[in-house]
Amino acid sequence: MKNDNTFGLVVAGVGGQGAVTIAQLVLGAAWMSGLHVLQSEVHGMSQRGGEVSAHIMISKKKVTSPTIEKGTGDLLIGLEPLEALRHLVYLKKGAPVVSTTTAIVNMDSYPEVDRVNKLLSGIDGVKMIDSESLSKEMRFPQAGTIALLGAAATYLPITDKIWEKVIQERFASKGEKVIEKNMRAFMTGKELILQ
Amino acid sequence: MKKSKLLLGDEALALAACDAGVKAFYGYPGTPSTEIFEAGEKYIEKTNDGRVAEWAANEKVAYEFALGTSYAGFRTVVTMKHVGLNVAFDAFVNSAITGVQGGLVVAVADDPSMHSSQNEQDTRVLADFAHIPLLEPATPQEVYDFTIQAFELSERLKLPVVLRLVTRLAHSRGEVYTAEKRLAPTSVGIPSEEEKNNWVLIPAIARGRYRDLRDKLPNIIDAAAKYNSFSANGRLKEGVLMAGMGIAYFEQYLSDNDIDPKKYNQLKIGAYPVDVQLLKDFVEKCDTIYVFEEDYPYLEDMIIPYAEGKCKVHGRRDGILAIDGELNLSTVRTVLAGKKVEGKVDDDLLAQISDLIEIRPPKLCDGCGHSDAYEAITKALKNIGVDDPRIFGDIGCYTLGVQPPFNAINTCVEMGASLSMAFGAAMAGMSPAVGVIGDSTFFHSGMPTLLSAAKSNLNLNLIIMDNAIVGMTGQQVPVAADIAPTLAKATGFEEDQVHVFIPLPKKTNENIEKLEKIFKEDKPSLIVFKRKCIQAMRRKLYTKPEKAEV
Repeated sequence: MKNDNTFGLVVAGVGGQGAVTIAQLVLGAAWMSGLHVLQSEVHGMSQRGGEVSAHIMISKKKVTSPTIEKGTGDLLIGLEPLEALRHLVYLKKGAPVVSTTTAIVNMDSYPEVDRVNKLLSGIDGVKMIDSESLSKEMRFPQAGTIALLGAAATYLPITDKIWEKVIQERFASKGEKVIEKNMRAFMTGKELILQ
Repeated sequence: MKKSKLLLGDEALALAACDAGVKAFYGYPGTPSTEIFEAGEKYIEKTNDGRVAEWAANEKVAYEFALGTSYAGFRTVVTMKHVGLNVAFDAFVNSAITGVQGGLVVAVADDPSMHSSQNEQDTRVLADFAHIPLLEPATPQEVYDFTIQAFELSERLKLPVVLRLVTRLAHSRGEVYTAEKRLAPTSVGIPSEEEKNNWVLIPAIARGRYRDLRDKLPNIIDAAAKYNSFSANGRLKEGVLMAGMGIAYFEQYLSDNDIDPKKYNQLKIGAYPVDVQLLKDFVEKCDTIYVFEEDYPYLEDMIIPYAEGKCKVHGRRDGILAIDGELNLSTVRTVLAGKKVEGKVDDDLLAQISDLIEIRPPKLCDGCGHSDAYEAITKALKNIGVDDPRIFGDIGCYTLGVQPPFNAINTCVEMGASLSMAFGAAMAGMSPAVGVIGDSTFFHSGMPTLLSAAKSNLNLNLIIMDNAIVGMTGQQVPVAADIAPTLAKATGFEEDQVHVFIPLPKKTNENIEKLEKIFKEDKPSLIVFKRKCIQAMRRKLYTKPEKAEV
């Protein structure tokens, strides 16, 4: 981190996508890196297709607010493009956004997906990843989501070694193959941004 | 060396209770309190060291379970959300008069901004009403520390102690340092010969006990004092009075903006009741006071009379903060710095975004049996000539039937209300009167209405949406299964007044026909729509033998 100020990350998505899992991976990784962390998650309606978001505060100093002040966040991970747009207000000027182009159209009033993606991709600092195609390509349904995390990781003060450890711990119960698939998806996402 | 973990506020409470030697967790699920019990249950399953965790039919019963465990001399936690305390309120208030034996911690999670609740009432007011001390932590670490201290306090004062969490703390995950040792549950013994009458609240005894409680108030205030800190070196005579998350946001504001804490006089409240002398002293040091607290302007209303003519008080009462809704960093900054932050989204972009953004409401899951049940109920009512059907609804997943395309319920007041309101409407002449309730909610507080319904001659149709799970709070097992029809018959319903339907698309037409017939009959009926929750099926929650089979 450039200075001692708090780094604020927002993860935004729809119930069932794993927004809270992604947030917890970041939280664990930052904590293992010796930083102070605090995370707030909004769920409860999460399995019913509503919005789900998590705020993560990371700092060298003690953190006490579990939520990010509007206009001050440093990074947004959008697991759904409309949700990315909705949570953009939390970011400060110039802050990067990593978002999928894959929409979840589970309401009648969902706007045209192309309009959403066009507006989002045109905003300064926004990187878009087609997570659906990526999942298909890698033959692993969660690959797209983990790739978004990998892409976001390029903006986070966490080493690859720590990421590897966190992913290993998180998926340990599911076996070596799942760990390996997740790690591959993570690195793919990271490379997409670094290219 | 102390160990640290990343824990939710709720989890920190449960773990602290275990470390403090708790014997039992009781509760009724409700967001954002549910994870307290669930974390407790998990630790108990893992350690298998003689503790118990038991969901109760409702919060009152849970509270009484806890009171009984305390009577037996053991430490215990009872958990609920803020509106759950209303259900337990009778036991809560009177437990201050009986007093406790083993430490009793009442963990209540408030929900300012109503993320998943019907109101944003403030548990501090209810604790005050009952003369029960309340601790209000501001961080997951404080949740842990305060919980352990709450047991000690409870046993020392011989009173229950409330731990008040709010959504943002209950569902915040942060670093928590835990105790090195975990105490095993041990009993301090049942009430002694001279104390045993304390628990019998007949008027002759209760009068004395109530006087004792009032006499104890100075001790309670003394015990709370160590959680309340005063710093009076503000250079500008500006003061901040704060509690719980108010403290958390204020400290983050200072830290993020590199503001010297000495800029402000500070009064931080961590426990109640508050010594009014503290408020009087604070007023003397300030010419302006900002109040940051969640939910009601509780401290604000306490300090305003002392401030009159001496200093200005800014908060929810003068409108500097909204009268409703939760605090956050933005509100604290806007109040103290007088401005909002300009971020990535400028007015032009905001307009473009607003043009596209729609609310994404939660809805009934695709393939959920409730949808099929609602379709059958509303169509049957229309088919018999009810043009504008009005259905009494209740709290649970099935409340989502209020939305299109179902538009199938018209009330949601509190747990159990649907059946009794349908009864009341039927008494007033509404025919057919229809009330819809879930199985868990039926056991929670819908059940007593059966007794009145059975004895009536009303066209009253009580419908249970039975999916054998507590759907809304993460799918817990209800206290009972499959007994509603038997219960109804035991209360006086005849065989032909009790119906069990399967809400599947292929059965919808058949269900509509049957319902039409039932709705036309001028007598009470119990209708059970019985189908497993698809979410719980996916999570394989029905595989355990004690769970209901459909």
